[in-house]
Amino acid sequence: QFSLDRIPRSREVRQSWISSVVTTLYSILYSLPLTYKRKPDLILCNGPGTCVPVCLSAFLLGLLRIKRTIIVYVESICRVETLSLSGKILYYFSDYFIVQWPDLKKKYPKSVYLGRIV
Amino acid sequence: FRFKESLAEDLQSADLVISHAGAGSCLETLEKGKPLIVVINEKLMDNHQLELAKQLHRDGCVLYCNCSTLVETLQSMNLSALKPFPPGQPEKFALFLDKVFGLQ
Repeated sequence: QFSLDRIPRSREVRQSWISSVVTTLYSILYSLPLTYKRKPDLILCNGPGTCVPVCLSAFLLGLLRIKRTIIVYVESICRVETLSLSGKILYYFSDYFIVQWPDLKKKYPKSVYLGRIV
Repeated sequence: FRFKESLAEDLQSADLVISHAGAGSCLETLEKGKPLIVVINEKLMDNHQLELAKQLHRDGCVLYCNCSTLVETLQSMNLSALKPFPPGQPEKFALFLDKVFGLQ
């Protein structure tokens, strides 16, 4: 049994950085009540900026002791040497940060390296 | 053709694949065990495409060139030197999540 919720994108491809801040803030405002309503036990995400508002909402709910959500972020297989921007942000907010190449494990010691997933 | 739902059939019958550095294209080809030449377009370059292509090249799994060196690469390529690409292991991730939730 599952339900589908839609959230607005944080950033379109090649969208300018300044307007991205605005759209991301809008996404956060949208995601907060949604995350509060759903109170997920686990958030599993893999990279696009769109997942950041949901994860930050869950993190906030955790800080406010409303719901403890486990956030698992899997960085894209394309990221061999550097993290995506979402990765750089969520490295600090996720419970488990999975990388798929050993170089990233060296650079980001708190990450989890399980080899390549795909 | 501009777009197909799946390239699986074409990949299966190919002897050599020449592709851009998209992760999907590269991984699908390598999973089928087909020799792959990755062509990087420096002008359109997306950072993460380049990282993956470089790594696959370092691992000896693909040949790699840019648009201007493609012909030369095709002329001098040694496909038998390409190493097989080990498959990913999603089960390790599944096990990991099970442990996180104490389901093991």
